[in-house]
Amino acid sequence: MFTVNKKVDKILTLYLPLTMLLSFTIFPIYWTLNTAFKPEGDIVKRPLQYMPVNPTTENFVAAWTNVGFATFFKNSLIVGVFTVIAVLICSTLSGYALSRYQFKGKRSFMLMLLCTQFIPRAMMIIPLFVIFKNLGLISNPLSLIITYTAIEIPFTTILMSGFISNVPKELEEAAMIDGCTKLQSLRHVVFPLLLPGIVATGVFTFIYTWNEFLIALMLTNQQSKFTLPVGLSTMMGEFSINYGALAAGSVIALIPAVILFAYAQKHLVNGMGGAVKG
Amino acid sequence: MSLSQGVTETAINSKKTVNRKKIKKDKWVPYLFILPSFLIILGFLFYPIATVFYYSVQHYDVSAPYYNGFAGLENFKEIFTTDKMFIPSLINSLKWVVSEVGLQLVFGMILALLLNQTFKFRGLVRAAAFIPWAVSGVLASTMWSLMFNEHMGVLNDLLMKMGIINEPQAFLANTSTAFTAVIIAELWRGIPFFAITLLASLSSIPDELYEAARVDGASRWKSFIFVTLPQLKNTIVLTTLLRVVWEFNNVDLLFNLTGGGPAHSTTTLTMYIADLAVHGSNFGYGSALTVVSFGILLVFAILYLKLSRYEKE
Amino acid sequence: MFRKKLTISVLTLIMIMGLVLTGCIGEESLVKESSPQKAEKVKIVFWDDNTGPQRTPIWEKLITTFEKENPAIDVEYVGLPKDSAKAMLDAAIASGETPDVASVYASWLPEFSNRDALLPLDSYFSKWSEKDKINKGAIEFNKRIVSNQKLYGIPYTQNLDILWVRSDWFKAANLNIPETWDEFFDSVEILTDKSNNRYGYTIRGGAGGSFQLQRMMYAYSGIETFFKDGKSTINDPKHVEFLKKYFAMYQTYTPISDITNDYKAMIAGFDSGSIAMLQHNIGSFAEHSEALDSNQFQAIPLPKSVEGHYVAEDGNTIGISIFKGTKHPVESWKFITFINSKKAQSFWNKSVGQLPTNSDVLNEDWIKASPHIQIAQKVYNDPDTILFEPPFYLSEYRTILNTIVDTGTQSVLSGKITVEEFLDKWAEAMEESQRQYDESFVNLR
Repeated sequence: MFTVNKKVDKILTLYLPLTMLLSFTIFPIYWTLNTAFKPEGDIVKRPLQYMPVNPTTENFVAAWTNVGFATFFKNSLIVGVFTVIAVLICSTLSGYALSRYQFKGKRSFMLMLLCTQFIPRAMMIIPLFVIFKNLGLISNPLSLIITYTAIEIPFTTILMSGFISNVPKELEEAAMIDGCTKLQSLRHVVFPLLLPGIVATGVFTFIYTWNEFLIALMLTNQQSKFTLPVGLSTMMGEFSINYGALAAGSVIALIPAVILFAYAQKHLVNGMGGAVKG
Repeated sequence: MSLSQGVTETAINSKKTVNRKKIKKDKWVPYLFILPSFLIILGFLFYPIATVFYYSVQHYDVSAPYYNGFAGLENFKEIFTTDKMFIPSLINSLKWVVSEVGLQLVFGMILALLLNQTFKFRGLVRAAAFIPWAVSGVLASTMWSLMFNEHMGVLNDLLMKMGIINEPQAFLANTSTAFTAVIIAELWRGIPFFAITLLASLSSIPDELYEAARVDGASRWKSFIFVTLPQLKNTIVLTTLLRVVWEFNNVDLLFNLTGGGPAHSTTTLTMYIADLAVHGSNFGYGSALTVVSFGILLVFAILYLKLSRYEKE
Repeated sequence: MFRKKLTISVLTLIMIMGLVLTGCIGEESLVKESSPQKAEKVKIVFWDDNTGPQRTPIWEKLITTFEKENPAIDVEYVGLPKDSAKAMLDAAIASGETPDVASVYASWLPEFSNRDALLPLDSYFSKWSEKDKINKGAIEFNKRIVSNQKLYGIPYTQNLDILWVRSDWFKAANLNIPETWDEFFDSVEILTDKSNNRYGYTIRGGAGGSFQLQRMMYAYSGIETFFKDGKSTINDPKHVEFLKKYFAMYQTYTPISDITNDYKAMIAGFDSGSIAMLQHNIGSFAEHSEALDSNQFQAIPLPKSVEGHYVAEDGNTIGISIFKGTKHPVESWKFITFINSKKAQSFWNKSVGQLPTNSDVLNEDWIKASPHIQIAQKVYNDPDTILFEPPFYLSEYRTILNTIVDTGTQSVLSGKITVEEFLDKWAEAMEESQRQYDESFVNLR
C-alpha cells in the first residue's frame, strides 16, 4: 500500500507536471525538426504533415553549402569562446568583490552595472560603430568580443556575486587558518563549490553571443566575418524565404548549444556533493 | 569534499578574528577585483550611453540633416504633452514585463524543483528542457509565426482537432489575442533562464537544512517555504530585477511577430523607440524617449532593491 | 576524480582556442605575405541591399565574371538583409565607414545626397559610350528628385506593382480576368469560398503595406500629382471612396490575419493556395513559380484608373551608387558600367524576373517569353500611362509611411478609426513635412 502511494505521489509531483512543461518546451523544437526534413512544397501544404511524408535532407545540404555557413559557424565559435573566457574572468573577480567586501563606492558600482542595461541596444549601435571604426576594428571579431563582454559583465557579475555569497564564508576563512593562502583557499574550497555558478554563467554568456543578432550585424561589414545569426538572416531575402533551409540551418546552429547544455547540466549539481535531494 | 567538511568545524570558532584582520589589510583588494569590469564598461559603454543623453536635447534625424540642432527640452515636452503613443506603449511595457517575469519565475521555479529531483534520464530531460534558451531570435520568431499562422499553422490544426476552436484563428492578427500569443512565445524562450539560475542555486543549498526540517516534521510545502525560498531569496531578487530590465528592453519577438501591431496593440515603449530609431531614423526623439525609460527603470531598480531588502535577512 | 576531469576539459578548451587562434593568424599572415606580389590589385566593396538564397548567387556570379574581365580589381560582396539594409547604411554614413559601391533604391537618393554621402556621377555618365541605352526616364527621375539635380545612381532594374492572380481558379469559375476596378471587386467576391479556406484577395496590413496601398490608391484615382496647391491629394474624395470599398473586403473576402500580413505571410497565403489575388510586384515571380505551376498563376496590371489610364509609380528602380568616401572611384564606376552592361543586366533581371533598364536587353528572347515582364512593359510603354511621383525628396516620406500609414491601416481594419480620419492624418503629416522642407530650404538660401 505504501509503495503504491509513493508511486502515485511521484506521478503527481514529478512525472505529470514534468511532462506538461516538457511538451510545451519540446513541441516547437520538434516542429522545427519536422520542417527541416520536409521538401519546400510540403511545408505549407494542407493537411499538415506531423511527420514528413517525403523526408529529405536537401534542406541541410542547402543550409550547409549556403555561402559560407561553415565560416559563420567558426566565427561564432571564436567570438563565443573568447567572450566566455573574458566574461568569466571579469565577473568572477568583480562578483567576489561585491559579495565578500564592504567598500566605498560599492553601491555606485552596482548602480553603474545596472544602468548599462537600461538602454535599448538599437540606440547604442551608431556610437558603438563609431568607437570601433576609430579603433579600426569594424568586421573584426574583437569588436564583438569586447562589446559582448561589456554588455554581459553587469549581469554576470551580479549573478556571480549571488553564487559566491551562497558559498559559506566560514569555509574559506577556515581554510586560510588551516594554512592555505588566499589563492589556495579560493582554488580548493571556493572554486569547487562555485562550479555550478561558473558553468551557469559561462552557458548564459555563450548562448547570448551565439544568438546575438543586431550588434553582430551592424559591426560586421564583411561576409566572411558574419556570425551565425547574421548568416541565417541572409537566408531570408525579401523575395525568398526558404523555411526548410532556415529550419535546417537553425537546427545545425542549435547543435553546439545542445551539447553545451548536455555537458553543463551535470555540473549544475555536481559541484556540491550530496546536493541531490530525493 | 572531505576538506570542506573538516574546515566547517574550525570555521565557527575562528570567524571573528580573521574578519578584523582581513578588512584592514586588504582595503585595496576589492577595487583591484572590480577594475577589469569597470574599465571595459567605462571604455565601451559609457560613450554610447552618453550619446543618448546628448541627443535627447537635440533635433537629430539622420534623414533630415537640414533640420538638426539644439532642441533644449522640446523633445521631452512633446513626449509628455502631444505624444499619443507614449502612455499606451508604457502600459504595454508594464503588461509585457509583469506577465513575462511573473510567469517565467513561477514556471522556471517549478521546472527547477522538478529537475532537481532524481529520476531516470534526468540528464537528457534537463538538456531538453533548456533548449529553448539556446534558440536564436531569428529561428524563434520564424517558427512561432509559422506555428501561429492561420492557413498552415500547427496550433490552429491542433486546437481544431481537440475541438477547442471551430475555425482557424489569426492569433497574431487579432487585437485581443496578439499580445498573449507573443507573451507565450517569449515565455517559451524565457523559462529555461530562471530554471537554470534557480537550479544552480538550489544545488548549493546544504542538505542538512532539509534534513533538519524533515526531523521537525515539516511537510514538503513547508520546507519549500521555510528552507528553499529563504535560501534562494537573493538569487530570486537579483534575477527578477535583471529580467525585468532585460524584458523591458527586449523587442526581438515583438518586432518579428507583430511589428508592434495590430494597431499598436503590442507596441511597448522600447518597441516604439526601436521603431523610431530603425524605421524613422529619428534619433533625437528616440533618445529623449530612451532617457525617460532610463529614468523609469532607475527608479524601479532602486525601489525594488530597497523594498525587497536585498542582502538583508 | 572530478578535479581531474575539469583539468582535462580546461586543457582541451585551451588547445581548441590555440588551434583556432593559430588558424586565424595563419590565414591572415598568409594574406599579408601574398599581397605584395599582386601589389596593383584594387579592392572595392559592394553592398547588396537585399541578400537571400535567390539573389546572392546572382551577384556572386556577376562579380566573378567582372573580376575575370578586370583582373586588377577585386570586388568584395556584402549582402545586407533587406530589413536591416537601410539601418546599416545609416550607421555607415554616420561614421564615414561607407562601402565603395552599393545597390540603392531611387527613393533613398534624396536622403543620401542630402547627407552628402554619395558621389555625383554626371561627369562619368556623360562620357560613357552606352549612356543612351539606359532608360532615359529613370535617369531623369533620379536627377529630378535630389535637391541639387545631380545624378547619384545608375538604375539597373525597374519594378512594377501588379496583381498576381490564380488563373486556374478564374478558369474554373468561368470568370474573366479583371480589367476594371468594378470587375476586380466582383471577382474578389466570387472567388471567396471560406468553407474551402479560399479568399478572393489579401490585404497587406503589416510591415511595408503602406507603399503598396499608396500605389493602389493612385492606380484607382488616376490623380497625377501628390501635392496640389500645397494640399496633399492623399485625402482626395476618390481615395476615400476607394479605401472604403477596399477595406470593406477585410474579413468578408480576405483572411482576418491580413491586419498583420507582411511580405512573408502574404506570399505564403498565395503560394499555399488560400488566396485568389494578390498585389505585389513582378519581382516575386520566382517565388510563386516554385510553389505553383505556370498554368496556375499569372500577372495582370493593376486595373486602369477611373479616368481610364494605367498608373505606375515613377522611380520604382534600383541603381548602383558610388559613395563619396571611396578611394577608387574609377574602379567603382567600371563596376557600375559592368552591372549595367547588356549581359549583366540581362543575367540579373532574367534571374530575378524584373524589367531591365538597358534597351539592348529589352529585345532579347527571354523578355518575350516572360509574360509578367511583358505586362510591365505594356504598362510602361503605354503612352497614356500616368507616372505618378511620390515626394521621395521629403526626408520623412518613408517614416510617415512606415509609422503613420502602416499602423493607421491597422486601426482602420480593426475599426478604431474611419477611412476619412486615416487619410486626413496621412495627408496632414505629408503637408507638415512639406512645410518643414520648404522652410529649411528657404533658410539655407
